[in-house]
Amino acid sequence: MIGNDTPSGEPLGVFLVNRPTRLVRWFWLLSLLALVGPASAATNDYLAELTAKSRTLGLHERREWNRLLHYTKNLLLPGVHGLADAPRFYLAVDGKTNPQTELEATLASFFSGVEETDQVQNPQCQFIARFAWLDEQLGFDPARMPRRACKRFEEWRDTLNPQGVSLIFPSAYINNPSSMYGHTLLRIDGKDQDEKTRLLAYAINYAANTNETNGVVFAIKGLFGGYAGAFSMMPYYLKVREYNDLENRDIWEYELNLTAPEIDRLLMHVWELGPVWFDYYFFDENCSYYLLELLEVARPGIDLTSRFRWWAIPADTVRAVVEQQGMLKRTHYRPSNATLIQHRLGLMNDSERSLAFRISLGRVEPEDPRLSALPAPQQARVLELGHDYLNYVRATGRKPVAEPAALARELLLARSRIDAATDDPPVAAPEVRPDQGHGTSRLAFAAGRRDGANFVELRGRPTYHDLMDADGGYARGAQIEFFDFGVRHYDGDIGSRMEDVTPVRIISIAPRNEFFQPLSWKFDTGWARRRIADGSEPLVFGVHGATGLAWVVPDPFRSTTLVYAFIESTAQVDQRLDSGFALGAGPSLGVQCDLTSRWRTAAYLTGQRFFAGDTDTTWSGGLRQRYTLDTNHALRLDLSHDRQEKQSWNTALIALDWYF
Amino acid sequence: MKKVLFAIALCAAPVIASADNVGNCGWGTKLFDGSSGPAPQVLAVTTNGTLGNQTFGISSGTSGCTQDGIVKSNWKTSMFIDGNKERLARDMSIGRGETLDSLAHLIGVREEDRAQFNRAAQQNLARIFPSDDVATEQVMMSLKDVLTSDRQLARYAASI
Repeated sequence: MIGNDTPSGEPLGVFLVNRPTRLVRWFWLLSLLALVGPASAATNDYLAELTAKSRTLGLHERREWNRLLHYTKNLLLPGVHGLADAPRFYLAVDGKTNPQTELEATLASFFSGVEETDQVQNPQCQFIARFAWLDEQLGFDPARMPRRACKRFEEWRDTLNPQGVSLIFPSAYINNPSSMYGHTLLRIDGKDQDEKTRLLAYAINYAANTNETNGVVFAIKGLFGGYAGAFSMMPYYLKVREYNDLENRDIWEYELNLTAPEIDRLLMHVWELGPVWFDYYFFDENCSYYLLELLEVARPGIDLTSRFRWWAIPADTVRAVVEQQGMLKRTHYRPSNATLIQHRLGLMNDSERSLAFRISLGRVEPEDPRLSALPAPQQARVLELGHDYLNYVRATGRKPVAEPAALARELLLARSRIDAATDDPPVAAPEVRPDQGHGTSRLAFAAGRRDGANFVELRGRPTYHDLMDADGGYARGAQIEFFDFGVRHYDGDIGSRMEDVTPVRIISIAPRNEFFQPLSWKFDTGWARRRIADGSEPLVFGVHGATGLAWVVPDPFRSTTLVYAFIESTAQVDQRLDSGFALGAGPSLGVQCDLTSRWRTAAYLTGQRFFAGDTDTTWSGGLRQRYTLDTNHALRLDLSHDRQEKQSWNTALIALDWYF
Repeated sequence: MKKVLFAIALCAAPVIASADNVGNCGWGTKLFDGSSGPAPQVLAVTTNGTLGNQTFGISSGTSGCTQDGIVKSNWKTSMFIDGNKERLARDMSIGRGETLDSLAHLIGVREEDRAQFNRAAQQNLARIFPSDDVATEQVMMSLKDVLTSDRQLARYAASI
């Protein structure tokens, strides 16, 4: 679920059905031996010599070799296993678990006489990064092991004409479960491009190969390695279009400081990985993880992957790269179409906005006197915004007018007849980059008083962000939490108890205006304390969802105050409930405001009528404060009043949040 | 209910047989549009299985135009236009922009001719995009015409 991104592509056909079996590998080895052909005595001698030398040097234990072959330490047993799952990637029968036999089989393959065609490559070219490294270590004698020309690789590299590598981070997209943490890919920046023509660079993307369009199915299957992950290449302009224009995600570009030999190693290894697939796991072996492996191959001295044994959140992997001394050259921010529209709306007055809106819906002609009355730059701006907004609406799948494409063309033609520029300032990059926000895990140490009993609390949240956390580097209004839990110790009778465990909680608060009309929504499921008729408070399992609307309202603090209203519904199941279950629904209201850049305050009120199963009317209202100390520390103060089963109580809690 | 729209006309009938760099290469990009509401529209560039033939997955509709994940040089301009029609038309209407700069770079327009190139594109937008579902090769043909009829830019017409 973490950072895979949009499913793309078709299954790998035959290979997906027939997973690599031992048999396949045997066939491969046999065919490899056949390719090598009847080995001459001289060849055998030289191979034996190289093998002996590689053993003496212990090459198979070297980090470079283990990175190139994607070996990772076994969790419990001693030894390693390779992550690649394509049969042709490991040449030795036991190559997937044995770096030494694999190295020796690789050496043997380099004597192959296979000629390169559009269909096949000589092993020296197919495994060009291994060849280059082993050549460096062993000093291959071209007289005794003929060197093969790798024309396809050379042409490929010449076309890329690499000058640099950028790490690309399309930011989060909460409405798609597979993209809600963002995504990462690499871009190979060519010598013949500059800042104005970067669209022509090539992107290297690692993603699950699937046609699944149901995000939920995709997310669940992806959790268990149900897809084959593979690298693909495409012009960067296709990616920009996908993220900026169709999914409305801002893109961050991190230009890296790699030396020419490092870039060369990276490309050679990418070449090797082109036809290889890996079982795709959303959490750990995902898009971001494999890009880190590529960078480790480029610069063997660095360790980027070991801390991502369990999960790899794209923003954290960006952080890991940027933290390397001298690795980051510069960053560039590429706003999405929706961000551009919002930016320009802020530069216009009410009448221009409403004119642009009506033009984009075909309700006002581009020749309308109200438009031609404006100065030329404003006319241009209204038409450009009208067009961009129309395209935004089209990209969300709606059809605002009968012929949206014809209207879009008409607006562009009208714009082209105005010989003036708008001179709008460009969108400023957000002050905090995604790698500079608070850490994605959080521990909170709290003390408080609830219904007359004092308590201390420990709260943990492995990932990722909630509405009260500082927004810098995150999408405002998007709350994504997995496995949040709280343990409390109360003075008196209650003692220690688990307060709540929430495997999933997602909230999207998306403000509406004349141009954007998204729905806000919530979903969570987990266990929480509920007071029942006998006064006890069992941990009750529940599923809770809500749909609502949100708006930004002007406030005196020059921040954006959000107000929102939801219709919420809850289903609870527990044997300690008299009926075994309870179904409830009701409204909720909330407001959130930043008093200063560090101080956020929020208030809420929720009422639920449980109408089926155990009936009850519950209320909950509260006031919350967060004060940011620094990027990874904050203070919270929560005051609340609850009413359940005709009993009411107050809670006050003060907490120190630590992000890491 | 989801339906699949083919947003970009691909593999359209080749209009000109003489030039070898226009014809029926396209990105095969699909727009999956969700129903209204939060369901997203996703652009999926479909990649076919590689089966050891080419080094990287290729998009359907691009076979013959790409080798090992890279667009062949004689297809670069047409594939760029095919993948960027909306952005390109927008940049032309304004007379500047990253997509227009990239196109100028692909055609080899020199720095001193860029302003004239941008102006010509803006003034001839209706010619270059004669309809709202224009085929890529049509855009290329009309762009070529526009350049040919411009004294300063005529020498670039051959690069399209």
